[in-house]
Amino acid sequence: MIPFQYVKPSKPKAAIDTVAKDQTAMFIAGGTNLVDLMKRGVMTPEKLVDINKLPLRKIERENGNVRIGALALNGAVAEDKLVMEKHPLLSQALNAGASAQLRNMATVGGNIMQRVRCPYFYDTAMPCNKREPGTGCGALQGFNRMHAIFGHSEKCIAVNPSDMNVALVALDAVVLVSGPKGDRKIPFAEFHRLPGDTPQIHTNLQQGELIMAVEIPENPYTKHVHYLKVRDRTSYAFALVSVAAALDMDGSTIKSARLAMGGVAHKPWRLNEAEQFLAGKTANEATFRQAAEIAMRGAKAFEHNKFKLQMGPNTIVQALKNAAGAV
Amino acid sequence: MDRVDSRQKVTGAAKYSAEYELPNMAHGILVGSTIAKGSIKSIDTKRAENAPGVLAVLHYQNSPKVPGYAQEAHPTEPKPAGKPLQVFIDNQIHFNDQPIAIVVADTLERAVYAARLVKVQYNVDEHATDFDKNVPKAFLPTAAKRNPKHGLNDYTRGKEDAYKNEALKIESEYVIPTEFHNPMELQSIIAHWEAADKLTVYDKTQAVIGTQNAFAKDWKIPVENVKVIATFVGGAFGNGLHTWPHETAAIIAAKKVNRPVKLMLTREQMFTMVGYRPHAWQKVGMSATKDGKITAITHEAIGQTSTYEEFTESTLQQTRMMYTSPNVTTRYRILPLDVSTPIWMRGPGEATGAFALESAMDEMAYVLGIDPLEFRLINHTDKDPEKNLPWSTKYLKEAMQMGAEQIGWSKRQLKPGQVKNGEWLVGYGMGVGTFGANRGRAKVKATLHKDGTLVMQSATTDIGPGTGTAMVQIAAQNLGLPPEKIVFELGSSLYPPSPSQGGSATVATVGSAVHAVCQTLKQRIAGMVAGNADTSFKGATVENLTFKDGYVSVTASPSARLSFADVLKQQNLPELEVTEESSPDASLRSKYSMYSFSVHFAEVQVHPLTGQVRVTNMVACADAGTIINAKTAGNQMIGGAVGGLGMALTEGGVIDHRFGRYVTKDFAEYHVPVHADAPNISAAFVNKPDLINNPNGTKGIGEIAIIGVAPAIANAIFNATGKRIRELPITPDKLMMV
Amino acid sequence: MCQSKFPNPDLPEEKSGSSHSDARRTFLKQSSLLTALALAPSAALKAAELKYEEKVAAVFEQVKVTLGINGKKQKLSVEPRTTLLDLLREQLHLTGTKKGCDYGQCGACTVHVDGQRVLSCLTLAAMADGKEVTTIEGLADGEKLHPMQEAFIKHDGFQCGYCTPGQIMSAVACIREGHADSEDEIREYMSGNICRCGAYPNIVNAIKEVKNGGQRV
Repeated sequence: MIPFQYVKPSKPKAAIDTVAKDQTAMFIAGGTNLVDLMKRGVMTPEKLVDINKLPLRKIERENGNVRIGALALNGAVAEDKLVMEKHPLLSQALNAGASAQLRNMATVGGNIMQRVRCPYFYDTAMPCNKREPGTGCGALQGFNRMHAIFGHSEKCIAVNPSDMNVALVALDAVVLVSGPKGDRKIPFAEFHRLPGDTPQIHTNLQQGELIMAVEIPENPYTKHVHYLKVRDRTSYAFALVSVAAALDMDGSTIKSARLAMGGVAHKPWRLNEAEQFLAGKTANEATFRQAAEIAMRGAKAFEHNKFKLQMGPNTIVQALKNAAGAV
Repeated sequence: MDRVDSRQKVTGAAKYSAEYELPNMAHGILVGSTIAKGSIKSIDTKRAENAPGVLAVLHYQNSPKVPGYAQEAHPTEPKPAGKPLQVFIDNQIHFNDQPIAIVVADTLERAVYAARLVKVQYNVDEHATDFDKNVPKAFLPTAAKRNPKHGLNDYTRGKEDAYKNEALKIESEYVIPTEFHNPMELQSIIAHWEAADKLTVYDKTQAVIGTQNAFAKDWKIPVENVKVIATFVGGAFGNGLHTWPHETAAIIAAKKVNRPVKLMLTREQMFTMVGYRPHAWQKVGMSATKDGKITAITHEAIGQTSTYEEFTESTLQQTRMMYTSPNVTTRYRILPLDVSTPIWMRGPGEATGAFALESAMDEMAYVLGIDPLEFRLINHTDKDPEKNLPWSTKYLKEAMQMGAEQIGWSKRQLKPGQVKNGEWLVGYGMGVGTFGANRGRAKVKATLHKDGTLVMQSATTDIGPGTGTAMVQIAAQNLGLPPEKIVFELGSSLYPPSPSQGGSATVATVGSAVHAVCQTLKQRIAGMVAGNADTSFKGATVENLTFKDGYVSVTASPSARLSFADVLKQQNLPELEVTEESSPDASLRSKYSMYSFSVHFAEVQVHPLTGQVRVTNMVACADAGTIINAKTAGNQMIGGAVGGLGMALTEGGVIDHRFGRYVTKDFAEYHVPVHADAPNISAAFVNKPDLINNPNGTKGIGEIAIIGVAPAIANAIFNATGKRIRELPITPDKLMMV
Repeated sequence: MCQSKFPNPDLPEEKSGSSHSDARRTFLKQSSLLTALALAPSAALKAAELKYEEKVAAVFEQVKVTLGINGKKQKLSVEPRTTLLDLLREQLHLTGTKKGCDYGQCGACTVHVDGQRVLSCLTLAAMADGKEVTTIEGLADGEKLHPMQEAFIKHDGFQCGYCTPGQIMSAVACIREGHADSEDEIREYMSGNICRCGAYPNIVNAIKEVKNGGQRV
């Protein structure tokens, strides 16, 4: 790692001001992603602003919403009673990610900010437009087995690796942000970006803006939910494809549905049209299959990830089956 | 019995090679090339040299010369054609991430940082790393060309390629990717020049004597001036069987800065600098009669090697000797690519070959409509059909019966896809493994102390199987001394020589020397007590004495007994020291064929929609002669099963051939099995001695623990789904696309 | 903004016990370049790379931390970039905590920080300031092994032993967290600890025994 300066402010404003005025400064919370990337020379902040003293750890209910502080730990959120009761899909997604140790370190804010796991991004000897704009996308003609089938560009085909994000986008979460110009709320679906021509810009957060909390609005998805993650080993691996499925059922009729995919795009991929299709339908495999086909419209695969065109819809079907069957 | 070093291992007290504390130690970090082939045009080290704490930046232009750079790998290894990579001798690049410079600094952090400041420019040559595209360049290994009797030559028993003209036949191609040993301990060394001609290394190696010889030769110093310490080795699986460039780089650096230098590879460097199981293509043709008699097998293999060393392994051995087939043809070739040199990885060659052979057995059985276990029993052979010799021992049938019962083989249906557990398809598969029951020459020194304790020493290592524990037990049994009174010291070149810990030969080799040393001790004790004119011991010989619980007594009148301590006391001896060497009996080896055997059974579940595979049960049974320690031997079998599970389902290295550079070089990209992948695994042994092999009756376990596992799982997946995946690893995407 | 126990970047603190401290003290006294200390680290770094003055850069390199390590309070001076793992292994010579990957992908470096299992390779030592760290060396009660250590021995939950400290620290936490109620749960919640020797089934048996034995872990 390059040498860097380390500060640990106790007020959000101090933290925000420090990063806002210094392009080389970054926030650090759990460090599970940033420290790794710094070791590889992929990220080289010259100042780290440790935000762990900020009072952002609470998980609480407010006006029906569940508000999760940015510094709440992944493991703690996954096992929080309120979260398990109101948003079990989030709990499942969190537990599908990383390992117990990492979940004890990683924060919700940090998980939202998690960078891509593309091997070309990680290896400074390889081309990567995200790490070094203008060097080209190594994965485009390279080893792109783990890569996107939706929303990619010629400049970048990496995927957002977070499981938590898939659940949060499905649950219409809102990211509460504080910055040098004040506070704002960013709907989860608008927080992450598609790569377009500027894959180096990871999210829609501005320099110095700090995630304070995530809010999940009240919803009826407390029973029929399932997070299904297909990966190369049974645990502790990133998703080939994952699906967050949530159903509100009336008998065998789907009143409404929420559906999102992971491992398929540069952002957690919400499947709005498939959700609309499912509303009012009878829950059975044929319905799920049709929804999956709708969900996969527009998918475009590369040399090594063509399997996702089949694994994607299959995983949607299976996740919906599990969700419908789950009580 | 619990492991003798278990307390050290569970308390963190066990010291591995990077964990010794030496005064004034500096830290070295290697800089690797970022091209696969070409030469260094310029190397700019100014920024690195000026960074805080940096003591030296060494590369081909300024490195101290290694006076006698060893021309071969370990002298104990068979000499391959070509020669190992020599660090910092010229500007040539032979593979991506080749070590081209070492940065030495006073702290680890500073060394790591400064290593990133070294800037290199290259003259780039076109590289060849793509196995498939370069297959036509494969050739017969030089060793075979030079010697027509060499085992790597083409082999024909009966008629060549006889399967081709048969009616009932199969012909299939199999591919295994490059796999990496990836022991949990990163390859590490502390190099310390105690004087200008006196070198001590704390090194992660499976061969202390081999390493000692290699470095003595490199530095042109007397062998006794090189001390190699490898008391604890954090796994190796073969990658400690070669002397690697990083070791010499650390020694060079220590020489230059005149301080001890510690060098620990990064996990990425574990993929490029310390060998791997080579990518291999294989083809098996097999024919059989309707009632299941194999009539012919042809097995061809091409294995990857580097451009500077010819690495070979015995991929086709099992095909030559496992089944009765009257017609067998094997052909082995190697393919040099611009990659680093492979090194034997657990079950070297045979594990690769068994994947093809045992998959083909399953395919043939399926064509014949015969149960695959029955098919193997039909073709079981009671003598070695290759050498035309009797087996020293072979209890494979017994192992098969044990395993079939334990896995519940009777639940298996001949037709795939018939058994279900909810949505999941259930399948059963098996695979057979074999490996030469090797034995080498070793020396053990034993010292019986006046307090009745025994200390033995030998320069073997323990990479995990529990060598010290087994040696203590062998001595306890042979000498009649409680194990807690015995210490076995290993992992130091100061001890009497032993070969490298490899080829499943340690217990047979070193255990035989322990046996010998115990026999001599008993004779010496007998000689001492026989001189007791006034007791019943008078005139006693080993034959009429009983050695038990640390006492010697006359078998006929056991009430009179003397403790070993008292025997020494009577003789006024402070200690009794004996050194014995033991070697295999060459005449027996020419009369018998000696192999260990294993059979692996797997029960898997496959999800028909998502392609997820769960291995739900595994059974590993072995004919490995006498089992010295059921706990550690069982653990080794279990571990091999987990390794084979990785081979079958999760592990595979991928090179981006545009850059000739790995894109899978950490545990996030290269998946070794985790807890959740491993089911309950039962290990069982026939446990019948092979006294032709060695006096303890043991045969090796380490290799047969993994050989045959991958095909057992692949065959189980076929039985579950009807999908035959012939390219490992069998990841969900592959099951999705067929 | 800066708290008293953290060094103000503008006012570097002396580190204790450093071989450089005398030289630095001299330098600090003599230097007419005290303004240089206000340089951003990047500038200082560049200065160092150009060999202007190594000590200018060195001033930025240390922060003071107080860690409880296996019950003993230790005041230490570390670089911000020093991980807890490297602090333990290289400076405190507590080598029981292992480096297996250095990227948070193997679990060999697992320790308890304030009672929670975490990966010391991804923990900056500076960020552990004020916390209690327990390593494998601190698990036993003197000569009396922790029940988990006993169970690992009994069930032979290791071969080479390199991943073992991490497995044991993780296993203790797994039970404390309440994630050891079934074999499958143990396997899932232990999946962050890789054992390349493949002793997994034995490790699971060891954990089961401790869990079912009901001893306090």
